[in-house]
Amino acid sequence: MLKFGIEFVPKDPYWKLVAYAIQAENCGFSYLWITDHFVNRNVYVTLAAAAIYTNKITFGTGVTNPWLVNPVITAQAIATLNELAPGRVVLGIGAGDKTTLEAVGVKTGKPLTAVNEAIDIFRKLINGENVAYQGEVFKTAGAKFNFKIQGKIPVYIGAQGPKMLELAGKTGDGVLINASHPSDVEYAVKRASKGIQQANKTPSDVDIAAYTSFSVNKELKKAVKAATPVVAFIVAGSPPSVLEKHGIDLAKADELRAALKKNDFGKAFSSVTPEMINAFSVCGTPDMCIERIAELRKLGISQFVVGSPIGANVKKAIDLISSKVIPQFVE
Amino acid sequence: MDYPELVKLIPAEKWGLISDQLINLILASKNEEKMPRQLADTMLLHMKNGNSESKSGLAALLEASVLLEPEKAMNAFCELQLPTVAEQIKAKIATMTAEAI
Repeated sequence: MLKFGIEFVPKDPYWKLVAYAIQAENCGFSYLWITDHFVNRNVYVTLAAAAIYTNKITFGTGVTNPWLVNPVITAQAIATLNELAPGRVVLGIGAGDKTTLEAVGVKTGKPLTAVNEAIDIFRKLINGENVAYQGEVFKTAGAKFNFKIQGKIPVYIGAQGPKMLELAGKTGDGVLINASHPSDVEYAVKRASKGIQQANKTPSDVDIAAYTSFSVNKELKKAVKAATPVVAFIVAGSPPSVLEKHGIDLAKADELRAALKKNDFGKAFSSVTPEMINAFSVCGTPDMCIERIAELRKLGISQFVVGSPIGANVKKAIDLISSKVIPQFVE
Repeated sequence: MDYPELVKLIPAEKWGLISDQLINLILASKNEEKMPRQLADTMLLHMKNGNSESKSGLAALLEASVLLEPEKAMNAFCELQLPTVAEQIKAKIATMTAEAI
């Protein structure tokens, strides 16, 4: 059975996001992912609120990074959340967004090593070990929690590049593939599978999730309108090689990027083409979304994450996914 | 008239429909700063326990929607052909406006 996850960005106050989380839980979603960017509200405080008001949904950071918060404190936060909602917590971690991290003066380097070491420290602390760690990026002289952690806390790795995908397959309990298009997901699943093989694990040992930009509406036009701003920013942040791979006109992308730089959102959003929407989002009527999700499922994903913007009206979009989309994937 | 009393003016068979409409109104509102924390917690607790369509759940939703989107809340009850409720909301808006002045 394909699991469904949902991502929320804590740009809204906690009570709105928690209301959506309750709705998502009641509508058949199994996973709740909260993004972690310093410009928005704090991910752990938001997750704590969600933990209190939900009963069964599994939740986690979608995703945090090893740089902004020391891995010891990340482990502490996740372990404390696990007390609020035992067995319902996961850690989602990735390399982080370079631009955002640079904005707060954080120097990044060796992303693979940093993520790998952070996970290593995390797991040791969760296991109750006294961690004296001499890594390339992180060093601890003897870190140990004064409280016990019940059960195991799975680690999901957010990945896009080939090496991070391999690491995710090899080390992670789950892989969060940051892609929406079948060709990208196919490539990512292959790379992650390579890592799974290297670790002598079986594919069922690792939850492979397509973490998509998603927009659904009964009317295609409205779904596209909601997806357009998100896709515009994805295009602006994508290297030429990625754009060319999807047959996107580089001149159009440059035009869009320049407009965004000038805060000319009208021009930027009008530069978004149907090819861009198709490449970087799962967008359309419920039937169109079902078709795309089915395609992704055949490629080997075990979880489909409905990411931002979800729809023009989030509550109505969740209702629509619950009534039309999820039932198509229940076995 | 307080909010639980106001709920009594609504036929019970419409509580489900109205609850859904009010949640939509509240979540779509941009006037988030007008939501008192305690009321938000009451609303979430009712949602968690599946009681949003109960008398107390609906009272919380009514209060929140009148605080965040008074005009839209009033119009919703006009459209639902519940003029008595709409009138009561209008009176609450008048009180809120007077208090603000």
